[in-house]
Amino acid sequence: MRYVKLPQENVYEFLERLKNFGKLYAPVKISEKFYDFREIDDVRKIEFHYNRTIMPPKKFFFLPRETMFKFSISKAEYEEVVENVEPFVIFGLHACDIFGLKIMDTIYLDEFPDKYYKIRREKGIIIGISCMPDEYCFCNLRETDFADDGFDLFLHELPDGWLVRVGTPTGHRIVDKNIKLFEEVTTQDICNFRDFEKKRHQSFRYHEDWGNLRYLLELEMEHPMWDEQSELCLGCGNCNLTCPTCRCYDVQDIPNLDGDTGVRIRRWDSCQLRSHGLVAGGHNFRPTKKSRFMNRYLCKNAYNEKLGISYCVGCGRCTYFCPAGISFVRNLRTILGFEEKSCPPEVSEEIPKRGFAYASNIRGEGI
Amino acid sequence: MENRKIRIGFYALTSCYGCQLQFAMMDEILQLIDKAKIECWYMLNRNSSEEREVDIAFIEGSVSTKEEVELVKKIREKAKIVVAVGSCAVHGGVQSWGKEKELEQLWKTVYGDGKVKFEPKMAEPVEKFIKVDYKLYGCPPEKRDFLYALGTFLVGSWPEDIDYPVCVECRLRGNSCILIEKGEPCLGPVTVAGCDARCPAYSVACIGCRGAVGYDVAWFDSLAREFKKKGFTKEEILDRMRIFNAHNPKLEEMVNKIFEEGE
Repeated sequence: MRYVKLPQENVYEFLERLKNFGKLYAPVKISEKFYDFREIDDVRKIEFHYNRTIMPPKKFFFLPRETMFKFSISKAEYEEVVENVEPFVIFGLHACDIFGLKIMDTIYLDEFPDKYYKIRREKGIIIGISCMPDEYCFCNLRETDFADDGFDLFLHELPDGWLVRVGTPTGHRIVDKNIKLFEEVTTQDICNFRDFEKKRHQSFRYHEDWGNLRYLLELEMEHPMWDEQSELCLGCGNCNLTCPTCRCYDVQDIPNLDGDTGVRIRRWDSCQLRSHGLVAGGHNFRPTKKSRFMNRYLCKNAYNEKLGISYCVGCGRCTYFCPAGISFVRNLRTILGFEEKSCPPEVSEEIPKRGFAYASNIRGEGI
Repeated sequence: MENRKIRIGFYALTSCYGCQLQFAMMDEILQLIDKAKIECWYMLNRNSSEEREVDIAFIEGSVSTKEEVELVKKIREKAKIVVAVGSCAVHGGVQSWGKEKELEQLWKTVYGDGKVKFEPKMAEPVEKFIKVDYKLYGCPPEKRDFLYALGTFLVGSWPEDIDYPVCVECRLRGNSCILIEKGEPCLGPVTVAGCDARCPAYSVACIGCRGAVGYDVAWFDSLAREFKKKGFTKEEILDRMRIFNAHNPKLEEMVNKIFEEGE
């Protein structure tokens, strides 16, 4: 890997020059407390020390709403609407969000490429930056706190600038075209990088092993936590909509008034919504708020087999942006037995059947 | 339906006529000339009659007089599809806010000793009296929803109902969350989406003008618990939630439950 140093005095010039590679997006403050990736006009508005953006960077590739195709009923034809995407640069992604995109890639690129996602992914330049965790972060437990790939450039904060890792040929091109802005990495820079990483690692709130979590979740389907916490849930979908790896969408056909033509659109969906588990014939796989609540916990803690990590990257958004103040981390730690002791279990005469398949109060009657 | 035009009726009960004005002003309405015949829509066509049979009947306004009870029954008999349009028709509208008070008291407050030709009653949603097949939410409803419903009927299909809350669109639009950030009593989590979170986009907390989400997924209880934590009283919470949901059968019970829980 190639390493260069971007001295602090050249940062804004560098950001300005990024605009030569495409429209520039970066984190800015959008309200009193919250940040989001927005198009950048004045590079001095960019926030280098933001905690997390309300919208995850997947929004640039998998659009919140988009038209998929136009159709004509009389001609029995459809025509895909794939926009002509211009190159663009997203500056300032944290490592967890880069992992988020890698997870999205395994879904939308690997097996059956989604052409709407693919064209944007090909045109997007990704520039990561290092960060210090806040109390909501748990990417260390998800092993997503340091990105090995998935970026063109990655900037690590130094006291007097940034140590830059170059990840792709595009990254090389950006550095080479602006070579006068960069310096060689010195021994002092390496020491500073190591210190930063050490401090970052120590700043995480929890240092523990979550390896058995997915199995404990399955075993603890009847834990009282599920009832207590799902009762608080507003079913608003914020957790899914701010998640960097939630990838469900809903489609709808919108006919024109000519009684013949129309468009099919898609928008981000949420498994906390009633119709997510609703199928033809009116059956709902997740008919209760509790079953929908549990679904997200199971989905996020499942393995992504390609990457060998869970679908949750530990960014903390689902807790930070929950209007009901439900803590995903606390609930998982309850299941893990780190919050409170749930043993010994109640003794029963019958051999209890445990696991999702047996939980009739979750799956509904008569299944 | 190849050669026949779809017959449309637009009827008004007690309301501000804002819903039909919203639709009458749409440029797209011209595209309907080929496809539809307007049998009754006084705002557009003076040659209207409430006596004619129609394929789709749009009804705005709340049922607030004895005559209107008869009118909605007649519309139902003469229409294949009945669509309730706007907050008044769907949920009883703001005029239902004073549901707890006596009719006589409400009447006196508004009209004093004035005399009118009709016999008043408490404002109620259309669905209380007849079967409603589809609903267009909002005060006023969105043109987009109207076009979607009409377009879908015109291709011989059935439009989807909106069963998710404003929060979804608020996030999709990229707004900040004022419920979390400002602690204001935003009704986004219990209110039917479709407005593209217009008010929160301008930092105004949702007042719920589209009414509560149906299918028993409007969690008034969980939201009331949040409001309570933010320091609102039961009366303040009920007052706000009732503005557009006075007839919701679950509202009071769900909010009361939270205040009986104790801390």
